Amino acid sequence: MDLQDAQNTFARWLDNAAKRFQKMPGSAIILRYIKSSYQNDPVRSAIELFLFLFAVRYLLAPKYSTQKQKHVALTEDEIDELVEDWTPEPLVAPETPFEALENEKRPVIVGPTGPRSKLSNGRTVMNLASYNFYNFVGNETLKEKAIATLRTYGVGPCGPPGFYGTQDVHMKTEADVASHLGADACIVYAQAFSTISSVIPAFSKRGDIIVADKAVNYAVRKGIQISRSTIRWYEHNDMQDLERVLERVTKEQARKPLTRRFIITEGLFENVGDMPNLPKLIELKLKYKFRLILDETWSYGILGRTGRGLTEHQNVDATAVDMIIGSLAGPLCAGGGFCAGSEEVVEHQRISAASYTFSAALPAMLATTASETINMLQEDSGMELISTLRENIKSMRAQLDPRSDWVRCTSSPENPIMLLVLKKEVIENKKLSVQDQESLLQDAVDEALANGVLITRLKSMPAPLGAGPRDQPWQPQPALKVCVTAGLSKRETEKAGVVIRHAITKVMTRRK
Amino acid sequence: MSSSKGRRRRSSSLMYTEPPESLEHISDQSALPNLNSEWVNAKGAWAIHIILILALKIFYDIIPGVSQETSWTLTNISYMFGSYLMFHWVRGVPFEFNAGAYDNLNMWEQIDNGDQYTPAKKFLLTVPVVLFLVSTHYTHYGVAYFVINFLATMAVVIPKLPASHRLRIGLFSGPPPDDVQ
Repeated sequence: MDLQDAQNTFARWLDNAAKRFQKMPGSAIILRYIKSSYQNDPVRSAIELFLFLFAVRYLLAPKYSTQKQKHVALTEDEIDELVEDWTPEPLVAPETPFEALENEKRPVIVGPTGPRSKLSNGRTVMNLASYNFYNFVGNETLKEKAIATLRTYGVGPCGPPGFYGTQDVHMKTEADVASHLGADACIVYAQAFSTISSVIPAFSKRGDIIVADKAVNYAVRKGIQISRSTIRWYEHNDMQDLERVLERVTKEQARKPLTRRFIITEGLFENVGDMPNLPKLIELKLKYKFRLILDETWSYGILGRTGRGLTEHQNVDATAVDMIIGSLAGPLCAGGGFCAGSEEVVEHQRISAASYTFSAALPAMLATTASETINMLQEDSGMELISTLRENIKSMRAQLDPRSDWVRCTSSPENPIMLLVLKKEVIENKKLSVQDQESLLQDAVDEALANGVLITRLKSMPAPLGAGPRDQPWQPQPALKVCVTAGLSKRETEKAGVVIRHAITKVMTRRK
Repeated sequence: MSSSKGRRRRSSSLMYTEPPESLEHISDQSALPNLNSEWVNAKGAWAIHIILILALKIFYDIIPGVSQETSWTLTNISYMFGSYLMFHWVRGVPFEFNAGAYDNLNMWEQIDNGDQYTPAKKFLLTVPVVLFLVSTHYTHYGVAYFVINFLATMAVVIPKLPASHRLRIGLFSGPPPDDVQ
């Protein structure tokens, strides 16, 4: 009885369901579809049914994330406890005793800077610590022209170059630099430091390859880091090592999609003071099909007969280098930086170099000053100035490098920034750590200042925060930095050289 | 400089899974919204699939000498091919938004930040399945047509499965690139 009841109920329910289904709009189509689908082919029907069921299952599945969930569920109490316990680290690390000492003794210049500067303690000292190599700082003509520009153009252009910031004087400066270098085109940036760190990421992206000298300066390192490129280092100025690295990169990349490849090095190294072998670099870059980015921040205006930089000094055509980056600050006594290269290289940066597109253009008076000093360097008087500077470098060097028992100069003979490092045997004999060297050199700086000569130490890139011992970057050897200037006579320079030598000797003999 | 541990893969294997991104990658990915994959959630992005399929069907219909069976099959294959190319073949972002942080992921893996079973993904999987069922119906179940259509559909359905997320199959490719700095 029960069974029959159930059967009846089921039949009735089925009947109802069928009726309902027929009443549904479109049910006829589905029925027809299913009827015609079967066509005596159970395998195919089974596949279709399976696919259909799979789609339904997919549609009904709940959403989930494939990202690794890192957060831990915490109760309110736990959160409160964690907040209580948390003490923020200071934004700036506390002053070390060495830094405190340095800050205490830091000389303060009163009034205008120049080859002879007045300090806040009332004494006048020879200033060999600023990049005022040609003493353009004290040039009255430049000052007058800058004031005239200021009266016409105002101070800042109040906008990025692509957004009402470009003025006629900027375009003139670009043309002046390009014609001075002998490059096709040039683009002027508002800050010297951020020029190279903006040029590199404008061209090199993730997946591209950069081969760079280990000793490149901090700005170049930042540029490389921002670009996210794959980076390979080669030993400082070691062309054989560079060739080895290039060869390896070429071999590794042989069967991969083509990427952009760059070699990055400096004209005069900020941290070592020497220069690379440019003809060899050009040969290698052509052989292995790389582009060459040359940072001439410290060599433009210094090297060569008319201050064109490394290309003129080593007799290389400026167009052979893909990108020449230089500074208009420092020796040229203006401000900002530039990148010279082919027309395409320059135009590309106008829209894709971050510091050109996003920061305000160079103040007009700095642009005219740069134009002016570049022209002055090319005149006869300018060339005389350059040879005076070279003479002074020679006299300074004669007092220091072969004569001192304690230090040697790592800079090129043409480099007015003389970096004096302690000799290897001295370090070994006295077992000096890097910290010891730094403090000894600081003592030498103080001693020289006491005798009326202002010099400084090489202050290079800090190690990155939180970097493990494995990815510590190349660190320069602690060094004294002596910036020779043409604003002092030969005799004065020699005298300063003697003072520095004696200061070093005094400090070193005092230490047992 | 410090991202040397994020991406390291086993070399010389037929199949490998794209490893999770390094911290630098993740921060670059989240620097800007991923405009390359975000549009699939936009209005009209779903309708365009239906419109494209209809347009393809009309296009093949007006070519003289093409039978209904061939026309449906061609529509199916064209859609599947385009869909495969777009969602599973091309990697990265064609524009400079994220400093190349998506260069190792195809578009399907970029959609909804890699989440599975999201509405957009459900829709995009349903379309080829329904198109297949419809086109087999109208090709009157000839075995040849059926096999062609079925294989084409599988080519886009399998890479969409959660199991194939970040999976790479390389028959002739060499060892994968190594980002060691």
